[in-house]
Amino acid sequence: MKLFTKYNRVNIIATIATFLVGSVAFYCELYYILGRQLDATLRSEQQEITEYVQSHNQLPEFESTRQQWITAVRSTNPLAKRKICRKSVIDKVDGDRDWIRQLIFSIKVNGQYYDVTVNKSEVETEDLLKLIIMVTVGMIGLILLVNYLINRKLINRLWQPFYNTIDRIKNYRVAVEKPLQLPKEKIDEIALLNDSLNQMTLHVFRDYQALKSFTENASHEMQTPLAVIRSKIEVLLQNDELNEQGIQQLLAIENAARKLSRLHQSLLLLTKLENRQFVPNEQVNMQQVIALKVEEWQDLILSRKLLLNIECEDVVVSFHHHLAEILINNLLSNALRYTPAGGSIFIKLRGPYLQVSNTASLDSLDAEKVFQRFYKTQSAAEEGTGLGLAIIKEICSLAGFDVNYTFEDHKHIFTIYFRQ
Amino acid sequence: MLIIEDELSLNQSMVEYLSAADYICEPVYNYKDALEKIEGYDYDCVILDIMLPGGSGLQLLEYLKKIRKPEAVIIISAKDSLEDKIHGLQTGADDYLIKPFHLSELSVRIAAILRRKIFSGQPVIIAGDIEIDTSGKEVSVNGNVIALTLKEYQLLLFFVVNRNKVLSKNSIVEHLWGDDMDFVANHDFIYTHIKNLRKKIMAAGGYDCIRSVYGVGYKMQVK
Repeated sequence: MKLFTKYNRVNIIATIATFLVGSVAFYCELYYILGRQLDATLRSEQQEITEYVQSHNQLPEFESTRQQWITAVRSTNPLAKRKICRKSVIDKVDGDRDWIRQLIFSIKVNGQYYDVTVNKSEVETEDLLKLIIMVTVGMIGLILLVNYLINRKLINRLWQPFYNTIDRIKNYRVAVEKPLQLPKEKIDEIALLNDSLNQMTLHVFRDYQALKSFTENASHEMQTPLAVIRSKIEVLLQNDELNEQGIQQLLAIENAARKLSRLHQSLLLLTKLENRQFVPNEQVNMQQVIALKVEEWQDLILSRKLLLNIECEDVVVSFHHHLAEILINNLLSNALRYTPAGGSIFIKLRGPYLQVSNTASLDSLDAEKVFQRFYKTQSAAEEGTGLGLAIIKEICSLAGFDVNYTFEDHKHIFTIYFRQ
Repeated sequence: MLIIEDELSLNQSMVEYLSAADYICEPVYNYKDALEKIEGYDYDCVILDIMLPGGSGLQLLEYLKKIRKPEAVIIISAKDSLEDKIHGLQTGADDYLIKPFHLSELSVRIAAILRRKIFSGQPVIIAGDIEIDTSGKEVSVNGNVIALTLKEYQLLLFFVVNRNKVLSKNSIVEHLWGDDMDFVANHDFIYTHIKNLRKKIMAAGGYDCIRSVYGVGYKMQVK
């Protein structure tokens, strides 16, 4: 629910309730005042009659109208006090049931008591009341409507800068952009929001830059000693006096150094992937990438007597060239590593997906753990870094692809579903 | 050849390896000394590390380009990101090698650049009875032209540039197939290429100069 809708809802309900309570109170008040006024008229009528009787010693002629009529009847049982009451009567003209107000008092004329009844119709009062209530209700409705329209228009306009800001934040990527520079706004709250966001992205940007250069420098610092080890071994290997044992040990050192360097490069790549330092916005022809990689691996595939089945369609996806190469490379090297000699590798590229599968020498891998870092099976003939599949997973997550592992027909199957 | 690398032992290894290939090498270990050498002398090739005490290798490269020195420049850096590579090459470097690297790989890159930049009129390399015309990728043995596959040609060039050096199977694989292949413990598939290369050289009446070095790899023996 929008803030404005919520506010408006509360506002309208509160306004209507206030107006309702107010209207009822107003109605009662008006009714009371008008009733009193009517009673006052009745009393002044009594006064006039009393005065007339005192001065003339006889009852006056009573004029009768539709609104007011007076009757006098002889009474044997005079009232001690005047009596005011409300009664409903049938109107003689239109036959409607109308409310009247009645004042009854006793008066003595020439020693004879009369009960005088002054009747006054309430129709006029009711009409007035109706009119006043109608005008009031009309006003309330009008006020509500105008209020709603103003709020709607004004509030939409007031919130516009907020939505502009939100749009900018949504599209903000610290890996590719400079810190946000949101405009200064006149409204304090929005200005505060924008200032805070500008500040925040500036901090994030600086921290990010620091982290980025740290990982790169760390890599540099580690690769240099490794480069020293490898170069020293290479120079040592030129020595003719080395015996076989010495050579084997040197090669073992070299392998370890190379593995360490490889491991570190992989971890650095994973960090970069997690930091979203690549933006998958290039149009990459997957068929070409696969053809290129297969060409590179051809000698190895031939020497192992593996059968390679490629079924590729012309598929272009929004991706990153370098990452596409790493992805295909890791998929292929993984397949190569786990295919027994004489086995087959299948590469299938269709519009929505890429599938790489190979005949297995072992049982199914643990589909839950296969993409975890440093996941290793018991008997991989050639150990990798244990990061190849984790890198595939990270690359897919960055590009918005899905990747899964299944085991069917004694085949390991890796399928990557491209973003549609 | 000026070798700018702050890591003392790596610098020494490069000097040792390249000197053995008859290059005259001068090592420097920091920004200030490097700047002095660049201003004072002319070199055929500069090997340049990026992170140096006292300044950045890229600043040196920019300076070199500003004063219009013709030196070939190879950057050696641990920074393996694509942007760094592109930045280095755009600033005017001729090649970019990521640490750690094989010295034989450095050597073959230097040779390629020198052929292109310095000996542009003479793209022919001669090693014993083998003659390689790098402009037309043509190889002749004892004057007889032999037909090689691309891999065999690259292999031969790698051997010739690093002649009289023991080349490990790893370094050969990395040079020819890239470093993605390094998980492969069994490098027998390069044996096929080497066998074919030797056959072709011998068929043309050449001296069988590629020897297997037990447990390590191969070596081209040329007088």
